Amino acid sequence: MIRRFGVMGLWALAMACGLWLVTTEVAVHSELADLLPEGTTATQRLLLTQVRTGIAGRLMLLAIEGGEPEVLAQASREFGQRLRATGHFDMVGNGAQALTKQDQELLFRSRYLLSRHISPDAFSVDSLRRALEQRLDDLRSPLASLIKETIPGDPTGEFLGILKDWSGQEGPAKHRGVWMSGDHSKALLVAETTAAGFDADAQATVQQDIRKTFEALPGRPASLRLLMSGPGVFSVEIKQTIEAEVWWLSAAASTLVLLFLLASYRSVALVLLSLIPLSTGIVAGMLAVNSWFGFIHGITLGFGITLLGIVDDYPIHLFSHLNVRGSAPAVIRAIWPTMRLGVLTTVIGFSSLLLAGFPALAQLGLFAVAGLVTAALVTRWVLPACVPPAFVPRDVPRGIVPALAQLTRAKLLVPAAVILAAFALLWSDTPLWQTDLASLSPVSEAGQRLDQQLRRELGAPDLSDLLVIEGQTAEDVLQRGEAVMSQLEQLRASGIVAGYDLVSTYLPSRRSQQARQQALPARSVLEDNLQAALTGLPFASGLFTPFLEAIEAARTQPTLDRDTFHGTALGMKLAALLFEQQGRWIAVVPLRGVADRPRLSEAVEGWQAPGVAYVDLKAESNRLMTAYRDRTVAIVLWGLLVIAVVLAVGLKSIKVLWPVLLPMMSALVVVAALVNVAGESLSLFHVATFLLVIGLGLDYALFFNRPEGAGDERARTLYGLLVCSTTTILVFGVLACSTIPVLHAIGMTAAAGSFCCLLFAGMMAEKEPAEDV
Amino acid sequence: MIFGRPLRKAITGISFFLWLGSVALAAVDAPPAPWTVDALVALLKEQREPSMAFEEATYSSLLTEPLIVRGLLRFTPPATMEKAITDPFRERYVIEGERVLFESERKGIKRTISLEDYPALRGFVDAFRASFTGDAVQLQKVYAVTLEGTRRQWTLLLRPRETTGQSMVDYILFTGSEGRVATIAIRSQDGDRSVMTLFHGAPR
Repeated sequence: MIRRFGVMGLWALAMACGLWLVTTEVAVHSELADLLPEGTTATQRLLLTQVRTGIAGRLMLLAIEGGEPEVLAQASREFGQRLRATGHFDMVGNGAQALTKQDQELLFRSRYLLSRHISPDAFSVDSLRRALEQRLDDLRSPLASLIKETIPGDPTGEFLGILKDWSGQEGPAKHRGVWMSGDHSKALLVAETTAAGFDADAQATVQQDIRKTFEALPGRPASLRLLMSGPGVFSVEIKQTIEAEVWWLSAAASTLVLLFLLASYRSVALVLLSLIPLSTGIVAGMLAVNSWFGFIHGITLGFGITLLGIVDDYPIHLFSHLNVRGSAPAVIRAIWPTMRLGVLTTVIGFSSLLLAGFPALAQLGLFAVAGLVTAALVTRWVLPACVPPAFVPRDVPRGIVPALAQLTRAKLLVPAAVILAAFALLWSDTPLWQTDLASLSPVSEAGQRLDQQLRRELGAPDLSDLLVIEGQTAEDVLQRGEAVMSQLEQLRASGIVAGYDLVSTYLPSRRSQQARQQALPARSVLEDNLQAALTGLPFASGLFTPFLEAIEAARTQPTLDRDTFHGTALGMKLAALLFEQQGRWIAVVPLRGVADRPRLSEAVEGWQAPGVAYVDLKAESNRLMTAYRDRTVAIVLWGLLVIAVVLAVGLKSIKVLWPVLLPMMSALVVVAALVNVAGESLSLFHVATFLLVIGLGLDYALFFNRPEGAGDERARTLYGLLVCSTTTILVFGVLACSTIPVLHAIGMTAAAGSFCCLLFAGMMAEKEPAEDV
Repeated sequence: MIFGRPLRKAITGISFFLWLGSVALAAVDAPPAPWTVDALVALLKEQREPSMAFEEATYSSLLTEPLIVRGLLRFTPPATMEKAITDPFRERYVIEGERVLFESERKGIKRTISLEDYPALRGFVDAFRASFTGDAVQLQKVYAVTLEGTRRQWTLLLRPRETTGQSMVDYILFTGSEGRVATIAIRSQDGDRSVMTLFHGAPR
């Protein structure tokens, strides 16, 4: 008696500590990026860095609709100005202002280092004469007033040339001074947040401020609506979806399980007792994951509730064997060997997830292993002590035994189902494997459509095609970038790509800048040339003194680098296009509108430019996914083998191994076919769930085939099994309703799998010895 | 009293007759309609020629003498206007609504630009609109319009209403007679100006 209370007290203490730790220590994350692996190749690492912090990840696409073009334009201008003032953005573009005044001054000052047209010949008498004649034309044109003020300092037109070169990245069409969609129904804006796209909390704050700013626009007609898209918007949406879903899934699943247990055993005490191993298991799982990974992901938590559906098997096994004759401790001692084997195989299944090297799966695996082992141990050592001595669950209906015995007559249905499934898989139009990473994204379809539409209208780069230029130093990378500039321009001219954003377009290498300085003539030479060129032209005398002074200053001007532009809008752009990663310098060149990927890849290889490579990010990310899936498949197969060996040893017989293994393996084939027929392709997460199905199936088969005596005992076992599997199917069925693809995949596979396992195990169970007769 | 009563009566009768006659005359031949901006713009539209030769002189603080260009202005109904420079180089501006096609042989450029992107072009475009399309309402929306002189010899002064930097035009001054524009002077904010002289009855 004292021992009983001692055990209960210890458990209560441990549970209290655990709960305290859960509330104080456990950090819940919802960012999808936290679940992504580190990547094994340099390209994959670059890809993941880009996804996490890159410029494309920080891009926010905005649109204002619901008004006349004039109203939209006015709102866009005002909105853009106010957004810039919030300090959340490196850049807010709406077409109204291409470069800030600060940027323009810096560019004007640096024009002789930045201009591509500077050569020794650029300041000869002939070249100057041609330039001056062009300036006269400019003065005659209706646009004279725009150009006039640059003429005395820049008669050769370098500054306007630089702006023209840069505007190669043409934006969307303008209407009423701002960017608008083709039909003038939407004013378009694009902003780069300072916060990383996958920092959902920071992004949520930014988006809230954006909405507030929009609401507060002075004189805003009520009909105007704001549309937002981009990775940051998605991460907030994902976080909200995960948080909301995890909550309602947990609530629905636990309610269903508790109600079902109550209905099956009509005993509140039994339900409360079952909660002991359940709650301990979940707390242990959370703590284990948190201490190993430093945080627990929302998706892991959502998955964690499904543990309810598996772990409740253990107390149910105990209760279903409890009768007037045997006390709880005696019963648990009797069924422990079978239970232990079941736990062991399930744990082997899940621990292989730890080896998959994919943080998302490793978290699920660790959670399950810790939860299951703890729950099993609590069922073995704590639960019997908590069961009141005279507690006996209600009698189970005895008719269950002959009813289930009928099932074995349908034994032949199992091979039939497997053959049918195999045919379904072979002839199905749905691809067997899911290779598109995007299909795992929980972003709503409407959201993805809006994103694509805005991206197309804005001509914003998406995360799919990149040129990567690598080098030891920033200077190396810039020189390599300059080397491929003309070839990139050819690609664009031939329509293979619609546009590109190369760092060298904005920032020449030091070598080029010095070459340009060398090409600038001495003042006396320039003065003579200018004088000769001006002969007969009606320019005012002394007009070009600023030009003479600017050239003289440029000859000794310090060269520009990435830091020169620090703190300007241009600086932000440069920092995103050229950065250091693990001791090497990398320039990423986002490509827009790639029309022909194979030809592009071929062309880039044909350049034979050192350190320059084309990366098809979509293909690369899908390759990454496929690699992990293949690894998971291998792990599942190895896990299966290990489980078979453990079983053979545990059951001390190879003969019994077949009826235990066969139903489960048949179930796997049928489930794969069911998923496929439902129009889904198998992803990494379906495969990982197979392990779960294996563990569950073995558990059922072990208990179905457990040699035990009287009909009453058998009825209790079978009733217990039915209850166990129904709760499992309920919980995973709830999970299958989730809109988060990962949870949906797990839920659907496991629900269908546990049903098939139960059915097949029943059909293929060994015939009972004729004791009842 | 020299004339006596009968004569006085007769004079009164005559003057009454004269007065009556003048009233009747006024009723038959009404005085000319008041000389207003609406009337001028309507007249300009009515007497518009499909094409006119012009000579334009540009005066700039950067220059010691004005630059001269010559060419043709054309109007194609319903609303396409063209300024084609033929001498000393060839350049074309075709204006259709808010879009301007710009084509320059010497610079090798042919592109369409939006007035929204080049507010500086607006003064130039508005000047043509005023003289061709007869849309007085639109004109007065954007400019404060002052009409002086007579129908025979008038000047029309346009000053942009919006002075917040959008417009680079200080004023546009038209001179003319009846429905014919003689000169269009555009003065920009910095004091530079261009003066266009139109020659009517030029060959198409």
